[in-house]
Amino acid sequence: MAVTPARRKSPRRAQIEAAALYPLDWLEERSGLVGAIKYFLFRRVPRDTSWAQTLGSASLTAFLVQAITGVILAFYYKPDPDKAYESIQIITNDLTLGWLVRGMHRWGASVFIILMFLHMARVFLYGAYKYPRELNWIVGVLLLTLGMAEGFTGYLLPWDQTAYWATVVGININGTAPFLGPFIAQFLQGGAAIGSDTLSKFYSIHMLVLPGAIAGLIGLHLYLVIRLGVTSPPWSPTEAGRERAPEPPSTNGREGLIRPSGRGGSNGE
Amino acid sequence: MASRRIEERRAQHTRYKEDVERTGKPFFPHAMFHDTVMSLVVVSVIVGLAVVWYLDADGTEAGVLGPHYTEEADPGTTNFIPRPDWYFYFLFYLLRIFKWPESVVLGTVGIPTIGLVLLLALPFLDLRRERRLFRRPVALVALLLVVLSMGVLTYKGATARESLGSELIEAVPQWSERQGFAGKMEAVEGAEIFAQAGCAQCHLYLGTGSQNLGAPELTDIGSGERGAEYFARYVQNPAQFGNNVMPPYAALGEENLQKLGVFLDASKGTEER
Repeated sequence: MAVTPARRKSPRRAQIEAAALYPLDWLEERSGLVGAIKYFLFRRVPRDTSWAQTLGSASLTAFLVQAITGVILAFYYKPDPDKAYESIQIITNDLTLGWLVRGMHRWGASVFIILMFLHMARVFLYGAYKYPRELNWIVGVLLLTLGMAEGFTGYLLPWDQTAYWATVVGININGTAPFLGPFIAQFLQGGAAIGSDTLSKFYSIHMLVLPGAIAGLIGLHLYLVIRLGVTSPPWSPTEAGRERAPEPPSTNGREGLIRPSGRGGSNGE
Repeated sequence: MASRRIEERRAQHTRYKEDVERTGKPFFPHAMFHDTVMSLVVVSVIVGLAVVWYLDADGTEAGVLGPHYTEEADPGTTNFIPRPDWYFYFLFYLLRIFKWPESVVLGTVGIPTIGLVLLLALPFLDLRRERRLFRRPVALVALLLVVLSMGVLTYKGATARESLGSELIEAVPQWSERQGFAGKMEAVEGAEIFAQAGCAQCHLYLGTGSQNLGAPELTDIGSGERGAEYFARYVQNPAQFGNNVMPPYAALGEENLQKLGVFLDASKGTEER
C-alpha cells in the first residue's frame, strides 16, 4: 500500500500537480521561455570541460555585482562638482553599509577587468576563437574594451584629485588622436575646462550608455556560446570533434598480424 | 585548397556536435556546479577587498589598498601627478616612452589601435584548425610577448614617478607668468621644449618634476647671468662641462637648443619662493 500509490497517481494528486504546473504551462504556451530555460540547463557540454572554463561566467558574476552596487550608489551619488565629493564621503562614512557597496563597486571593477583578461587568455590558450567561434571572439574583445571604458569614466566620479587629474590626462590622450581626436576630447570635456558638463557626461556614459551596451553584448555572447557549444580542452584525449580513427580495414591476414603489436593500442577507439 | 579547408573545418564541427551529443554531460548540474563555486569565490574576493580597503584606510589616509578618496578635485594645482586605475598603467607608461611631439601619437593612439585591430582580427589571421598550444609556435610566442610586455609596462607605470610632457606643457603659461618671460616668445617656446623633452623627469622646476640622479633644481638657474648660449652648449653636450651623468641632447637640434637656452637664462627664480 505504501509503494503502489507512488506509481499510479491518485486523481487528486494529478489534479494538484496540474494546478501547480499551470502557471508554467501558461507561460510556456505564450512565450516558449520554459522550454528555452530547459534547453539552456540541460544542453550537453563536452564531458572534459574544466575549471578554467568558469572564467566567463565569473566575469558575468562580477558584472552583475557592478550593476547591483552601481544602482545602489546611484541612489545617493550626486553628479555635480559642488556635491560629488561630499556625496562620496557620505556614502563611505555615514550611510549604513555604504562603505561596503562603494568598496565592492570599486574593487569589483578591478576584479571584472582581471577576469575578462583571464577569460580571454583561456580562450586564446584553447584556440577557442577558431571556426566557428570567430564572431564571439570579436564580441568578447568589444566587451573588454567597453569594460575598460567603464573604468575610465567611473574613475572621475569621486571628484577627488586622483580622479580629476587622471581624467585630464585621459582627455589629453584622446585629444592627440589624429582626425577625430580633438573632437572626441572636446565632446568628453564639454567645455573649456573639466567641470560640471564633463562630470554629468561621464556619469551618463558610465551608468547608461556603456552598461546598456555591455548587457546587450553579453546577451549576444551567451547566445553564441549556447548555439556553438563549449570547446573541449585541446589536449584532452576525449576532445569533442577530434579526428576519428580510420575505419579498420578488412582484415586480410597480414595486417591483422601486425596491428596488435604495433599501434593497435593507441589507435583503438 | 581554400574550399577544402572550409570543408574540413565544417566536418570537424559536425564531429564536435556528434561527440557532445553522444558523450557530453548536461550543463546542469555538472558544469553549473563549477560555475556556481567560481562565482561565489569571485563575490567573496570582492567583499574581502572592500572590507580590507575600508578597515585599513581612513578617508584620505591610505591603507594597503589605497585611501578611500584623495583631496577634493582642485583644478588650480599643477604638480599633482595623475594616476589612472592600474589597468591603464600600460597605456600610461607607453606615453612616457614616446615623449617627442612627433611620436607621441604613436604611443597614445598608434600602438593601442594596432593592438586592438590585431586582437579583433586574430580569428582571421590564424586560420589553422590546430588548437594544441605547442603546435601553434607563432601563437605561443605572441602570447608570451604580449603578456611580458603588458606586465613590464604595467609594472613600470605603477612605479613611475615623473610627470608627463602633456601635463607639463599646460604649466608653461603659469611658468612664464611667474618668471616674468611671458612676453618673450623664444623663452616660452623653450619652456615648451623643456616640458616635452622630459627634462622634468630629473629636474625640478617651480615645484614640478622630480629630482633624480642628483640633478639640480632649475627654477633660478638663470640667475648667474651665464647667457643663453652657455646653456645651449651645456645641454647639447654636458660631458664637455664635466657632467657625465646627464645625457647629451644634441638631437634636439640647434634651433631648439637656442630656445631652451633662452628659457633657462630667463629663469631667474621668483621672489615669492
